[in-house]
This record gives sequence, structure tokens and C-alpha cells, in this order.
Amino acid sequence: MVSERLRKCVQSGLSIIVGTADSERVPATCRAVAMKTNDDFETVTVYIPAATSHETMANIATTRRLAVACSEVSTHETTQIKGVTRAVRLAPREDEAFVRERIEAFAASLESIGLPRHTTRRLAHWPAFAIDVTIEEIFDQTPGPKAGTALR
Amino acid sequence: MTLSELSRCFHGVIPSIIASADRNGVPNVTYLSQVHVIDEQHVALSRQFFNKTSRNIAENPHVCIEVCDPVTFEAYRLRLRFLRTETSGALFDSMALRIQAIASHTGMSGVFRLIGADVFEVQRIERVEGYLTGAASPADAISPTDGFRTELRGLQLVSERINRAEDLETLLAAALDALAVYFGFEHTIVLLNDESANRLVTISCRGYGGGVGAEVVFGEGLIGTVAAERRVLRISGLDASLRYGRAVRRELLSGEGGRTLRPEIPLPGLADAQSALVIPLTVGERLTGVLAAESRDPLAFGEWDEAYLGIIGNQIALGIDRVLQQEETDGGWQMADGAQKSPSAIRHLPSPIKRHTLTYYRDDDSIFFDGEYLIRNVPGRILWKLLAEWKRAGRTAFTNRELRLDRSLGLPDLKDNLETRLILLRSRLREKLPAVQIASTGRGRFSLVVDAELELVER
Repeated sequence: MVSERLRKCVQSGLSIIVGTADSERVPATCRAVAMKTNDDFETVTVYIPAATSHETMANIATTRRLAVACSEVSTHETTQIKGVTRAVRLAPREDEAFVRERIEAFAASLESIGLPRHTTRRLAHWPAFAIDVTIEEIFDQTPGPKAGTALR
Repeated sequence: MTLSELSRCFHGVIPSIIASADRNGVPNVTYLSQVHVIDEQHVALSRQFFNKTSRNIAENPHVCIEVCDPVTFEAYRLRLRFLRTETSGALFDSMALRIQAIASHTGMSGVFRLIGADVFEVQRIERVEGYLTGAASPADAISPTDGFRTELRGLQLVSERINRAEDLETLLAAALDALAVYFGFEHTIVLLNDESANRLVTISCRGYGGGVGAEVVFGEGLIGTVAAERRVLRISGLDASLRYGRAVRRELLSGEGGRTLRPEIPLPGLADAQSALVIPLTVGERLTGVLAAESRDPLAFGEWDEAYLGIIGNQIALGIDRVLQQEETDGGWQMADGAQKSPSAIRHLPSPIKRHTLTYYRDDDSIFFDGEYLIRNVPGRILWKLLAEWKRAGRTAFTNRELRLDRSLGLPDLKDNLETRLILLRSRLREKLPAVQIASTGRGRFSLVVDAELELVER
């Protein structure tokens, strides 16, 4: 089940949100636009818009800790990953097509529940930071009595 | 920037995000089902389950939430500090009502409920700069002053028409018509409280193409919940709320709690309603009925609409009470236009003569015509009595008094609501079986007009 959930997290069309905290434990949040893995989920790479993530990036620089929740728009099935950042970089040009494809898929998902596609396309998504995260914990975050149940 | 400027963000149309952290600074991020504005310095977040966010705020009071305006799609971040959890009181009851209504529609009454309202102090509000790129789409132009004047005028006219109405049908038709014209409420329903059956019965509706006679059980769905709790319910982003509720239901079905879940209940009128405003109609402590408005616009009903509909609801409740008491005192029910009409003035169906089989089921007093449900309970018993007399002795003229004296009809001795039941019966016949009509022939008198061959079957 864990591997199936992780595979769903890197599918297109999902709503992805990020949580961090500073050294005083004050939290911050922002949207992410895409996520993928290149090493079979030893790490995941989270793409966060540069325009809206100043505080998040500052927190990552300070604490290196990150929480990422990936949600299917129509069903609310949600998985939360928690881990430690391994590397941070400005996403290279060759990743731009991937990020744009993911925004387009997200727009299609939101359109299915009534939010106009042209508006979702306007969400800031590039340039983006690419954050490599080593997965430490995985949780079922789907709304309900089992929300927060550890999957690993 | 103030919370009131962001009011659209709290309608629940677009889910909000909440980030928290535990005592060690490990972050957690998830979605919020409801953010309730208390005042300009405080908000409350609904807690349906004890979860990681709850544990975190017990260790570390700071959270960050991100909300989104469903019209402009701009995002805003609020820095909050946890103060306390309320488990009773006005705030809790208000937030619980919405969750109760959603739970009822998704078959989770008693299972999915509010367990606490977490109250937070708002420390900072900031717009997320750079959230959207490119040219902005034109936002809805809201002119509060224009709307205000039109709605005040509408309020005055509705009041006048309600006060002038001499019968229930005129009162309700005038009220619902005015709500459509002056407030843009195109889909409205009035249900009256049938105390003897512990149900609400639809007595008038607009924008649905029918529906008179539909029943709602107390405590079920949006309308039943409002009737049971006697509180106003305003829900925006209904689709989003139901999707959230169904997500919870799926999780419950996969666990032990699934055995206690009931079937889902359809929305009261529009299958694709995006917002609803439901008002209890009360006179003193007594529930007269419920007034409900629906819309396909997720932001159709704001605080102003709730205030206006509340005022109109009070007037409708008083008007219903006045008319019904007057009719009971006078002993009569008069036709909507105030004129007395003879049976010959009733519109007859053209030839050829139709044939219908009406079947009466004794166990629930329901009547079906040609296999299709027509009516039941007291109105059903009344109709069967009339039809039986017509068949047996060719009677067409009847009085309210004889109905009141007939113990077999089961009318209560006090507040028998006979006028309401006759209006309901008349409306149902007009809608479903126009070959059979009931027409007033004077105060307290009416005629049964049958323009078909009827076979009466009792089972």
C-alpha cells in the first residue's frame, strides 16, 4: 500500500501543498506545482514557485524539514510525506516542460469540479525551486477518522 | 487588510490550507474544512477528529493558514495563535449546524460531527504576492449600495403583500414571487410543520416545476436539520462540502464505523445546488415551517441575504399563523382570488374522457393513480373520503365542518391544519391528476370536480 500511495503522489493532476517551520517553530505554507522521483522514492523532488515561497525557502535553509501533502482533487484522497531536504536548487530549464505539463493537468482536475482552467493556468509556477527530500515518514491524510495514520 | 475584506475566502468554496508544527518544529500540512470568522481579530477552525493538527496546537500554538478568494483566486496567508477550544455555546452550535447538515446528506448523522471549535487570534494577514500571473480576469462587480436599496424596497413590498394576503396560497405565492423579483432567489421552497406526522410538507415552491407535497423528516438533510435545531443555515460551496463529506464517508465505510452509516440523502431541490440558505419559520417557540432558497451560484447567499431572508421569514411565519388562525376561526377556506365559484366555472378537460384507477392503501393512507404516487396521510384520507362519497352517492359538494367532524380522518382536535391539508391536496391534484379537482364554493365549502372515469380500489 505504501508504494502505491507514493506512486499516486507523483501522478499528474494533484493538488500539492507544502508546510515548513522556522527555528522558532512558527509554521509557513505554500503551494507546490509538481513532484517526481528519480530514485524509486528514496527521495522525491518537489517543485515550488519561486514567486510565492520566500518564507518556505528560508525555513528550509534553516531547519531542512519539509511536509508535503498530495491530494486527488475529486476524492480528497491525500498522502502526506515528511522528510529532510537533501538539496535545493533553482529548477533547470530542462524541467520547465515537466512543470508546465503538471500545471496543465492540475488545471484539468480543477476544471472537473467547476474551477475555470484559464485561472488555474495563471497560478505562479515558473521559475521554480527544485527541492530534493529524503522521505522519513508517510501518512494517510485523507479526511476522516484515520487522517494522520502512519503508513511508514 | 481585514478579515471582512476577505469574507469570500471563508465561504468554503475553495479549501483552505493549514500548516502547524509540533514542539520539535516538525511541520504538518493539511486542508481545512471550515474557517469561521468570529470577529476582526479571531477565527475558529472546525475540528471533526482528533488529529495531528490538534496535537500540534496543543504543543505549539502557532499556525499558518492560506485561504483563496473564489472570485479573484488571489491567496492570503493568515498567521494565527491558538487560544482555546470551545465544545459548547453559540459559536460551537453555529459551526456544528453546518457539519450536521452535511453529515445528514452524506448519511453520517451522529458519526461525522463537530467535536470542537478551535479559536485563534489573528496576528497577521498578508496577500500572497505573485500568486497569479498574467492579466487578471474581471471580478464580479458588486455594488453594495445598489443592492441595498433594491433589497430594502423589495423588503417593503414583500411585507405589504404578505400583510394583504387573505389566504395561505396568496401569501406564499406573493412571498416567493417577491423573493425572486427583488432578491434574485429563483429557487425557493416553503414547507409547513405537520406536527402530527413529525415531518415537514412542501406547501409552496418556485423554480422547480413541481414538488408540492414532498416531505422532509425532522433532522434529515439541510431542511430537516434546520427544523430540528431551529437555527438559520447558510452554506456556500455546497459541492465542495459534500465532496469533503463523501471523502470522510468512504474512509468510514472502510472501517468499523461503516456499519452505522445510512444512505445518502439527495439535496432538497436542485441536484446541482452550490449554495443554500435555510430559515426556520417560528412564532414564539413554535415552529411553523421552513423557508429554503437554493442556487447554482456558490456565492449566491451572503450575510445580507441571510439577514433579509430572516426578516422575510419572520413575516411569512406571522402571516401563516394569522391566516390559519383566521381560517379556523371563520371555519372556512376561500379560493385564492377571493371569489366564490360554482363547479360549472371550473375548467373541464376536453374529450375524450380519461380513465384512471385510484388505489388506496390502508396501512399508510397513500393513494396511487395508475400506479403513480399521488398523496398520503391525512390529505390522502380526505381525498379517499371525498371520492368514496362521490362514487357511492354522486356527491360533489362538501364542507370543512363535516371533515372536522369525521373522526376517521384523524384530524387533531386542536390546530387541525385542515386548510393547509386542503391546499396541499388541491395543489397535488392540479399538478398530478388534473382530471380531479377541488374548488372552493364559499367560505368553508368546496366541490369535488371529476372529469374522468375513475375506478376506486382499496387495499
